[in-house]
Amino acid sequence: MSEQENHGHHSDSIHLPAPTTWPVVLAFGLALIFLGIVTNPAISILGGVLTVFGTVGWFRDVLPHERHVDVEVEVMDLNIRSTRERVARMELDKPGRYAPTETYPIVSGIKGGIAGGFAMIIPAMIYGLIAQHSIWYPINLMGGAGIANWTDTSTANIAAFHWQGLIAASVIHAITCLLVGLLYGAMLPMLPRHPIVLGGILAPVLWTGLLHAVMNIVNPVFDQRIQWGWFLISQVTFGLVAGWVVAHQSRISANRNLPLAVRMGIESPGLMQHDHDEKSEDRH
Amino acid sequence: MADSALPAPGTIGGAIDVTPHHKAPGTFLETLHSWVVTVDHKKLGIMYVLYALVFLLVGGVEALCIRIQLGRPENHFLSPEVYNRFFTMHGTTMVFLMGMPMLVGFMNYLVPLMIGARDMAFPRLNAFSFWMTAFGGLMLYYSFIGGSGLYAAGNAPDVGWFAYAPLTARAFSPGHSTDYWTVSLLVSGVGTIGAAVNVIATVFCMRCKGMTMMRLPLFAWLSVVTSALILMAIPPLTAAQVMLMIDRYLGGHFFDTLAGGSALMWMHFFWIFGHPEVYILVMPAFAVANEVIPVFSRKPIFGYPAMVAASVGIAFVSLGVWAHHMFTVGMTSVGNAFFALSTMIVGIPTGIKIFNWLATMWGGKIRFATPMLYMTAFLFQFLMAGLTGIMLSVAPWNWQLHNSYFVVAHFHYVLVGAILFALMGGICYWYPKVTGRMLDEKLGKWGFWLLVIGFHMTFDFMHIPGLLGMPRQIYTYEAGRGWDTWNLIVSIGAFVQAAAVLLFAYNLLVSYFRGEVAGNDPWDAWTLEWATSSPPPEYNFVADPVVTSRRPLWDMKHPEDPDWKYE
Amino acid sequence: MSAIPIPVHQVDQPAEWTQPYKGRVGMYCLIAAESAIFAIFVVAYVFYLGKSMYGPTPGQVLEVPIFNTICLLSSSITIWLAEHALEHNRIKRFGAFWAVTIVLGSIFMIGTGMEWNKLIYHDGLTITTNVFGTTYYSLVGLHASHVIVGLLMLLAVLVFTLMGHMKEEHAERVKTLALYWHFVDAIWVVVFTVVYVIGR
Ligand SMILES: [Cu+2]
Repeated sequence: MSEQENHGHHSDSIHLPAPTTWPVVLAFGLALIFLGIVTNPAISILGGVLTVFGTVGWFRDVLPHERHVDVEVEVMDLNIRSTRERVARMELDKPGRYAPTETYPIVSGIKGGIAGGFAMIIPAMIYGLIAQHSIWYPINLMGGAGIANWTDTSTANIAAFHWQGLIAASVIHAITCLLVGLLYGAMLPMLPRHPIVLGGILAPVLWTGLLHAVMNIVNPVFDQRIQWGWFLISQVTFGLVAGWVVAHQSRISANRNLPLAVRMGIESPGLMQHDHDEKSEDRH
Repeated sequence: MADSALPAPGTIGGAIDVTPHHKAPGTFLETLHSWVVTVDHKKLGIMYVLYALVFLLVGGVEALCIRIQLGRPENHFLSPEVYNRFFTMHGTTMVFLMGMPMLVGFMNYLVPLMIGARDMAFPRLNAFSFWMTAFGGLMLYYSFIGGSGLYAAGNAPDVGWFAYAPLTARAFSPGHSTDYWTVSLLVSGVGTIGAAVNVIATVFCMRCKGMTMMRLPLFAWLSVVTSALILMAIPPLTAAQVMLMIDRYLGGHFFDTLAGGSALMWMHFFWIFGHPEVYILVMPAFAVANEVIPVFSRKPIFGYPAMVAASVGIAFVSLGVWAHHMFTVGMTSVGNAFFALSTMIVGIPTGIKIFNWLATMWGGKIRFATPMLYMTAFLFQFLMAGLTGIMLSVAPWNWQLHNSYFVVAHFHYVLVGAILFALMGGICYWYPKVTGRMLDEKLGKWGFWLLVIGFHMTFDFMHIPGLLGMPRQIYTYEAGRGWDTWNLIVSIGAFVQAAAVLLFAYNLLVSYFRGEVAGNDPWDAWTLEWATSSPPPEYNFVADPVVTSRRPLWDMKHPEDPDWKYE
Repeated sequence: MSAIPIPVHQVDQPAEWTQPYKGRVGMYCLIAAESAIFAIFVVAYVFYLGKSMYGPTPGQVLEVPIFNTICLLSSSITIWLAEHALEHNRIKRFGAFWAVTIVLGSIFMIGTGMEWNKLIYHDGLTITTNVFGTTYYSLVGLHASHVIVGLLMLLAVLVFTLMGHMKEEHAERVKTLALYWHFVDAIWVVVFTVVYVIGR
């Protein structure tokens, strides 16, 4: 693959640490000490003697000066060449071929998630009032998923106020909304045409269907208490509000055509050149 | 130092050794003596790797016996006692006598060459460390002959590689077989710690001019991280083993539950060592991938600082996840949650690494020579192993599958699918440097594909009996539980793998004598070890190299477009 | 393209290329490893506090070794003074402080020996007595074994000094050894706190 040529002949001498017996003697001695423990104390004694010899010998090797050997060498210059003389640069596609040139910032997804999270509370409360005559019912249902010892409980108990339930539900709700918003923001460039339709209706429907299908296995007790119609309404509310919020954010230009390292601000040889910034390059 | 004349393009002044070698090859005894007393990091590195390869074969034979025993239901190929010894010795051998010496050998051989040094920081300590490791291993295997146990003479350790208390107490493990496990690992542990100290000191103190920490080849960086992990992880094992010795020899009560001791503490201490150990083993695999993938993709490594940060991050996180091996012990739910989450967090830096390797390959001119084939398989299999790892980190899932063959399949996916593949790829990559000869590419490819087939036959299908409830370390099983066919496939796969490993070893042997002459730089690579002759002279470099970027050889090969312009 | 002549060494190099002294780095690594061992033994000691099924308990038999501790900790100061003296090539002064360090370390070992003697023959506490005995003797014994190893190495240096081989140029090596001694002292602070302050 590559060729190296030698010229510029001359000679020299090099210091190298001298070979020595003492490390292996010391190691053998120590090993014998341990072997004696499992076999016969006499072996430990032999090991001890070897250890002392090894240690003393080693000290005399390095004190007062480390022992060296001089190696005489004749040398030439080394010329390093590659047979691959051509350096290719990676040509990047025209912007917009794979992905839109403009997109929403990821933070818009988080904003949408927060807004959707607040909006979602309304249908949930309505459901609680209409179906169970208590706004605490949906809250406890959600919070109960996070409190392990709520395995078998009555409807009245769920409809009552529990501060643990409220805290757990708030934490779960807030975190889930933020994460879903983040996911939404990250996925936005993939659904550029109709963010509200895709993200606001299609995704919640699919999500609800998935949950409906698996909840029976994951948590049958929980499954019995979920009214899937109301559940869907809440999800769609979330999606619509989140989508609406996102759609009203300002777009930014997508810089995904730059290599990730450049976007992350990482300096990496071969990835960017000072004179043409928007190009990544490759060498062969 | 050799003073160089005016440097010509891409020339290192006086860098190649042309000393005429008049010396006749010595007698066998002379040669042997020169290897025993050597302090040369390259010779020691080769000895480490050969030692590891021998134990790879030994541990492999044990694995084959285990697989024959498990291939059919109600089999009696091995007696139960021998079976226990074999799975204990297989695990201990592969981790302590094969994995660690192999990686220490790699670090020993390569780190000084890569950083442009003549030797390690402490050459004598280096020799001492190797011999400690070697004698530790020999001692462990001496137990097959010398270890007195319950069944009279010749009893190897049979308490499992994690040697849980109270099975290791005097009452349950009479004789000395367990003590052999303890003392031999103590001895080899001292060797490993010595090697780690040496590697760190070498990288921090012996770099050639211009080799700043941010220009260090990633292999050397990861060697430092591995060594730091060794310094953090091996001592707890040593401490626990000392405690066990105190219990067994001096009548202490550390793990004696009757006197207020705690068997649980052994588990904690063991896994405080045991989990980072996995990363000690896998880091060098990453290190090899970091060197091989860029060269065969003809692109610089993607995201060098991110790679360094991810490695350091993995090292830190891995120190705080050990109790995911103990979910079934019954911890508090806070404990369960903490260790489940911390384990999942490991996935983040690991993911960064995988994406960086993919991004390095992306758009590159990839050449699938044998080393690169191994790396590609490594990437895929390591990803799979990581995914089952995340599954097992979920505490309830773990309760179902703990100590089942699913776990065995998972960690063999890591140890074989990722680590062994990467290390074998590394051997293929650096073999020309070490011996001066190329490996036979055809044999290499055959070996690779055979290994891939055998590996997937064995370890893909091993997950299934685990899911069906087959526990690990089980001697035999009844027919008709639905485990029979799977176990048979797994056993056949094991033999395919054995054939592949033998082919690999044969290739190493044959190519040493008949291989094509490699030249200094057969892969057109970029790190300093390729700037010296193959095999390198005992002093590595005649003149101290001076580097100006992460890819010093690139700079010399392409003076019109050097890397240092971009730093 | 490699025909374009660009000398390799043309890029500006840092004029000074200094790297840390390898002995020091090695010693720090060793200290890290030793700390991990001690950490495990300390954790074990703390975990097993009060787990003994039968006496004697730490409160009944342990006495705080104030004098010992003062001796060992002040040996850190004397060894530092010795290092300092060697750096300024005052060999006699170095030898004197070095000897004082060894004496202080030996006093500590004698004190530990007397304490153990009392515990074994007066209080009947051995390593087999109970969990407290097991953990106490292993933790304190581990530290004491480090003190002994340190003392042996200090003695070796003293012998070299008395034979007149010690020179200013050895300052780096001596400082590396002193680093180990400082570490042994620092560990004593931890052991002392755990065993005699918290654990009693
Ligand atoms: Cu683990």
